[in-house]
Amino acid sequence: MDCGTCETAPAVLITKPEPVSVSLTITERATTMLTDAFGDDDSHALLVGVSSGGCSGYMYDLQIVESTEQDVQELNIDGFRVLVPNATSHLLDGIEIDFVEKLMGGGFKINNPSADSTCGCGESFS
Amino acid sequence: MPIVARDASLLIVRGADALNFIDGLSTNLVKNLQSGSHVQTVFTDRNARIIDLCTCYHMDSFIVLIGHNQNREILLTHLNGRILTSDVQISDATENNDFFIEITEETKEYSKGITALRIAESEVLLVASKGTGPDADMNREQWNEWRIQEVRPDVGHEISNKCHPFSCGLEHLVHPEKGCYIGQEILVRMRSRGTIGRGLQRVENGSCKPNFVTTKGKSHCLAIVRINNRESQ
Repeated sequence: MDCGTCETAPAVLITKPEPVSVSLTITERATTMLTDAFGDDDSHALLVGVSSGGCSGYMYDLQIVESTEQDVQELNIDGFRVLVPNATSHLLDGIEIDFVEKLMGGGFKINNPSADSTCGCGESFS
Repeated sequence: MPIVARDASLLIVRGADALNFIDGLSTNLVKNLQSGSHVQTVFTDRNARIIDLCTCYHMDSFIVLIGHNQNREILLTHLNGRILTSDVQISDATENNDFFIEITEETKEYSKGITALRIAESEVLLVASKGTGPDADMNREQWNEWRIQEVRPDVGHEISNKCHPFSCGLEHLVHPEKGCYIGQEILVRMRSRGTIGRGLQRVENGSCKPNFVTTKGKSHCLAIVRINNRESQ
């Protein structure tokens, strides 16, 4: 603390899960929406990530990017480049990316067979 | 003023995402914490059960989490599993420090090397490098009698992984407006529906079921008892 003991504190060993080879699918509705978003531009990719937080512990994070500095595995699904960070690959294997229309507008939805539970808003899972 | 020794833990959280990381995992508003300030917050699991109560102190270049030693391993496991791609590094300085609580409402100067954080109107948390702290002159029994008098919950008694923050006197650490964190959905539902269920109370010895008692004193005890939910709101 103020006495400087913090500087000598040992780092906590973080056990990172082993990356898994991700298999994922994209529904027809989601494919249609991605086709609209990407057009003929194949320089961009869909980055499917997970961050901590949300009511259930983890939140999906979908981004359209040109590139990323993260260590990722690149998949080609129905002609789309999909990037999955290795650090979160253990949470994403087997997911289905869907697109759903809601009263407040449409959005992508991830169906994850490995998730124990999801929160009411569907944004987070555990 | 009385000083009691505490079996606490001290984790250091560094990285650009440190504040947001803690904010997303605990009940109080942490992400706006300014350098030199501190706030208490509760880490909860997805069932809103308590993992640990921590004092979160912004030391400019890093964040300090002062929790309870008996919960250190489970808290570390909880935090580690959620770092994922965040810019967060954690180190453990527990063994380098001694921890105390001084019961005082006075504002005073402490010796150099002691960090003093006021955590309640009449409590100051003191952190000193190993072997340099003040002498503790309050024993466990006196501390518990004081806590009963003040209806002040403590880890290992009221605060446990069987409770949510509302039931053990930590409702003031559940921020009513902050965004998502683990366990939030359950706590918000309890608060909005008025279904908190149980609450912490000071009662006379023998006036409630023994299994509700969390701290027993000479004449009174602290107990987590069923409460009239609507009245509690």
